Amino acid sequence: MEIEGYNMPDELYYDENHFWIKEEGDVLLMGMDDFAQKMAGEIVYVQLPEEGKELSLGKKFAKIESGKWLGKAFAPVNGELAAVNEELETNPGLINQDCYGKGWMYKIKPNDKGEINKLIHGPEAIKNWVLADIEKYKK
Amino acid sequence: MEAKYDFVKKYREQVLQCSRCGFCQAVCPVYGATLRPSYNARGKMLILKEVMEGKIPLNDELIDTLFQCTTCASCQINCPSGVNVPDIIKQVRKDMVHIGSCHPAFKGMNEVLEKNTNIYAEDEVPDFRREKNKKAEYVFFIGCVGAYREDESTEATLDLLDRIGVKYTLVDEVCCSGVLEDVGYQLNERLAKKNIALILATGAKTVVTGCPYCSRTFNNKPQYQELKDKGVKVIHISQLLKNFDLGVKTTKKVTYHDPCDLGRHCNIYEEPRETIQKIAPSFVELPHNRVDALCCGAGGGVRGAFPKNSLAMARRRLQEAEEVGAEVVLTECNSCVHNLTNAKLRKQKFRICSTTQFINELMEAKEG
Repeated sequence: MEIEGYNMPDELYYDENHFWIKEEGDVLLMGMDDFAQKMAGEIVYVQLPEEGKELSLGKKFAKIESGKWLGKAFAPVNGELAAVNEELETNPGLINQDCYGKGWMYKIKPNDKGEINKLIHGPEAIKNWVLADIEKYKK
Repeated sequence: MEAKYDFVKKYREQVLQCSRCGFCQAVCPVYGATLRPSYNARGKMLILKEVMEGKIPLNDELIDTLFQCTTCASCQINCPSGVNVPDIIKQVRKDMVHIGSCHPAFKGMNEVLEKNTNIYAEDEVPDFRREKNKKAEYVFFIGCVGAYREDESTEATLDLLDRIGVKYTLVDEVCCSGVLEDVGYQLNERLAKKNIALILATGAKTVVTGCPYCSRTFNNKPQYQELKDKGVKVIHISQLLKNFDLGVKTTKKVTYHDPCDLGRHCNIYEEPRETIQKIAPSFVELPHNRVDALCCGAGGGVRGAFPKNSLAMARRRLQEAEEVGAEVVLTECNSCVHNLTNAKLRKQKFRICSTTQFINELMEAKEG
């Protein structure tokens, strides 16, 4: 769905730091959402940690940079890093071009898939959250 | 007829001195990464000659060419005609800003420093868990990159200074703002005065910087003359560390990347090596080292304005680390650490870090 110019697919789960999460079989796919990639500007660097890295819910596990911004990827669930999008190593701009498709960032093997239910999900919740952040970042 | 631009008044003869030999092209990191002749010094001098002759105007169309230079000074060092390209480029950029033509990233940087304390416009000052602004023998001046982008390296540097017993204080530092002089603007006097006041209030007679660019700014810019007048010496941490017997060693194959701001600009090549060779018997030089070192691509504002090309330059440098089989690439500039780390490919298994961070880790390991 579109919320004031930001494309926020309502079937996805969202972390409050503006990462989207999607179930893909046994793993969760993760990337930056449209709001975040627009705010960040052209992404120039994405840290791609080694597969197998342990992820703790809410803990930073990677850095992302645009020309003007240093961002952090926080683990949305407890688990393990299963895979990274290696295309981003030399073409981090894929996140800006196609943040929900070719610009996916990480695959996570969750300890408990049920933890995604704690994330922001459903059209109304997503809309309220995005509108609130639009206001917050206007200031 | 009065010259239209200041670069013509100051550097006309030098621009005409360019014999178009192309020696600069062979060593230019921007040319090396892009193969665009106009980005290299010879190309820039040809363009400036056309501007001087009134054939082309200085305008937005020249932004990409004239603002894309890391000011690494490789061209200057290798120029048989003695053309001081970095100084010419810096003056041209001031002329362009004066006529309202500037890369938006640099315009933004100037605006940021008018309102903020650092080049990243970060509101939250990093907490390195140490007292600030106290009376001490030394002030340790971190620099924006060390504070806001390479905080791990800075934390390790401070731990190291604590381990070797250096009596220092941090201060509520603000950006030295020297970079503004490189990108067409003026050093921010308000920020300079704040740094000077903070440093003098500590009573310290030596400022140790983690950033060679800050060290150059404090030592060379007239806005910081008061430090010299009051007997305050400014050195880079590599100049301090060489005096210490660190008592640790590594078996890893270590190499060293000379930062342009420390090497070509300050002639500091041997002090970092003295320290590294004490701790790393398996030290190897990169093929291009000391005055011939390849630039990491971050300088002159290029990392902010032209990040893709900046990272391409860094990748060229890292290929050399691969060639010599280095396991660890050390350097003494957080900006180089940052750019090289961002550029490193996953298949490249060597590690990049500051010398101080590496030494601190060895000492930590020795303490068990």
